[in-house]
Amino acid sequence: MFDQFATAEPDEAMKLAIRRVEETTAAGKGSYLEGLELNEVIVNMGPQHPSTHGVLRLVVTLDGELVRDVIPVIGYLHRCKEKLAEKRTYFQYIPIVDRTEYVASMNCEWAYVLAVEKLAGIVPTRRAEFIRVITGELMRIASHQVAVGTFVADLSPLGTAMVFYCFNDRERILDLLEEVSGARMMFNYFRFGGVRYDLPDGWVEKCRALMKDMPKLIDQYESLVNDNAIFLQRTMGKGVITQQDVADYGITGPNARASGIDLDLRRSRPYSVYPELDFKVCTGEHGDVLDRYQVRIDEMRQSVRIVEQALDMLPRGPVQIGSLRPPYVIQPPPGSCYVGQENPRGEYGVYVVSDGSRYPYRLKYRDPCFCNLQIFGKLLPGNKIADAVAISGSIDLVLGGIDR
Amino acid sequence: MAREVGRVEITMEALFARLAADFGDGLGDLRVQEPDTLVAAVERGALHALAERLKAHELGYETLNFIAAVDHGRHLEAVYHLYSWHTNTWLELHVEVPRGKAELDTVTDVWPGADWHEREAWDMMGIRFKGHPDLRRILLKDDFIGHPLRKDYVDRAENHPHV
Amino acid sequence: MLPDRLKQYPKLSDFSQPNVITTTADLVFAWARSRSVFPFTYGLACCAIEMLSSGFARFDVARYGMEVFRPTPRQCDLMIVAGTLNEKMAPVLKRLYDQMSEPKWVVSMGACATSGGPFYDGYNVVNGVDKVVPVDVYIPGCPPRPEALFQGLLELQKVIRQYKFVPELPEPAKPAERS
Repeated sequence: MFDQFATAEPDEAMKLAIRRVEETTAAGKGSYLEGLELNEVIVNMGPQHPSTHGVLRLVVTLDGELVRDVIPVIGYLHRCKEKLAEKRTYFQYIPIVDRTEYVASMNCEWAYVLAVEKLAGIVPTRRAEFIRVITGELMRIASHQVAVGTFVADLSPLGTAMVFYCFNDRERILDLLEEVSGARMMFNYFRFGGVRYDLPDGWVEKCRALMKDMPKLIDQYESLVNDNAIFLQRTMGKGVITQQDVADYGITGPNARASGIDLDLRRSRPYSVYPELDFKVCTGEHGDVLDRYQVRIDEMRQSVRIVEQALDMLPRGPVQIGSLRPPYVIQPPPGSCYVGQENPRGEYGVYVVSDGSRYPYRLKYRDPCFCNLQIFGKLLPGNKIADAVAISGSIDLVLGGIDR
Repeated sequence: MAREVGRVEITMEALFARLAADFGDGLGDLRVQEPDTLVAAVERGALHALAERLKAHELGYETLNFIAAVDHGRHLEAVYHLYSWHTNTWLELHVEVPRGKAELDTVTDVWPGADWHEREAWDMMGIRFKGHPDLRRILLKDDFIGHPLRKDYVDRAENHPHV
Repeated sequence: MLPDRLKQYPKLSDFSQPNVITTTADLVFAWARSRSVFPFTYGLACCAIEMLSSGFARFDVARYGMEVFRPTPRQCDLMIVAGTLNEKMAPVLKRLYDQMSEPKWVVSMGACATSGGPFYDGYNVVNGVDKVVPVDVYIPGCPPRPEALFQGLLELQKVIRQYKFVPELPEPAKPAERS
């Protein structure tokens, strides 16, 4: 029955999909139309996608346009990062952590640096803490711009204006981050005990000017789609994540907050200087696609507020502990440590096990998108395939983190 | 209505005492680590029953954050990291697994989110989870031979057809 | 002499020579082909985000005629492999490359696609896309800036201009030996 679809041997995921279809048909729960048993089609979405979520493969069982079952298959970007940790020193590993959640690399580095600093007992300088907050929040705005822009682009043909506006404004943020760290995307900027470079002259004024412009730009994004009847029809009430799902699957970040849960690690387990900063935790009500989009837009505004406060409170001082050279070789005492941190996608953390040598003994990532992706098997079935695309765009996946 | 976390105000000492009293038999070597984490060691056989009791407890641990599999040379170890919404604290359970018979009971019936974490532990470290609905490789290709994160893993030519 | 119906176009009346250009088919087709390339976004990892950035307003890839990114290989002639290739993805890459129709070119964007990049010693990483498909232009960088991608694409335009419209004809078959 399925021979015409497979030119090669079906692999494990396809075999599972075929088994499930045969089971439901045998149990009499297959698709029927007036007594006619219908063939359900098993289709591969991916691993090469037109959207930017990366190399995710969804084995989708379709009944016409309706999704009956979905099996996500990952691992097409597995780059052996956890094994590489055992071959690189703690310091050499910082650029590799960058490349996990590549859209939000500052926050990834921050999580790794926090874990190792806690294990080694290093306390960063105060000026560095504020610079970390500023660059981290700028990265959060840029990451949400990518998320929201590509989500709206998924809903319609790629000629939408929204993604162009989002990416154009993201370039302004990347310009600022490039002046500070030297790179546009993989910054390699955080160090144990501080950051690599101090802010250049005039950077604070440029940042302030951009933060003054930012609320207008965010208003522009909202004005493009928020009142559009088609957008609302496609996003309201779709892909609802209940609070029980959030607890069961460990969903964190804007996906959890959109379901009405006040879970933000900057508030509930604060790190760095967040206790001194005043910001609102944005929550939604229904947990549908529209709420997840709206939470991200609101978080951008809150990040602007945080950056402005941090710029005002920025103290003078060194940006690294010790002398000008950062500690290149550190040997934390034996033990293990986990620090979870609020990445734009959720709780991102690194569990470091050290045996006292220069190389980590074991490094395990707690990736938010890995946990968020598990709910696809429950969330997507019952929707049309177009809604499935909208829902998967709103969960905001980055495969670099899922596959590591 | 936004549901908050950490509605139960409890100090770490009080929580430590409470858990020691309620689960003293299951949680061996319970200690407090840094601001808000409790660490304990758990017997292999007692894991599933303890997981059910921990979730159903009044200060219950509703969420499984991750399962980390560590290779300690002579034995393997699975680290379960749990989060409690009521108290806004973490609990880290260390379960020792012998190398020769690396098997554990699954906790997917307690925390559905454990599904993929256990698959990853199987894929990377070779810890088999009894009762798992669908234990197959998740990150590596289906015909990969070996479990890479073990310390004695040696790269094989069959795993590298494109050289 | 211009016919009457064309006299309404003032510029045309300036032609005094016949409007005939003599050149080779290679030049004309190469000129057209190199300036209207349909890239196939094979964005695997971080370089895909830089490729996207180069497609949008600040760094505009449309000025080189390459803004028509098609997601299906059957409508493309340039495959930009942006990101790390691993053993699980390699058969997929080969299959998609085979689905593209001739003439086709491959650009390997980034250090990972060129040689494995920072993950070269991973157990699951293929050290370079050229182990699976033939590559025409290698763009180093991690990730390469959009300007670097554009330099690579300009080099690729030079490669495309060398493509022959009529490939070399096969040798005529030798007559069978008379016994």
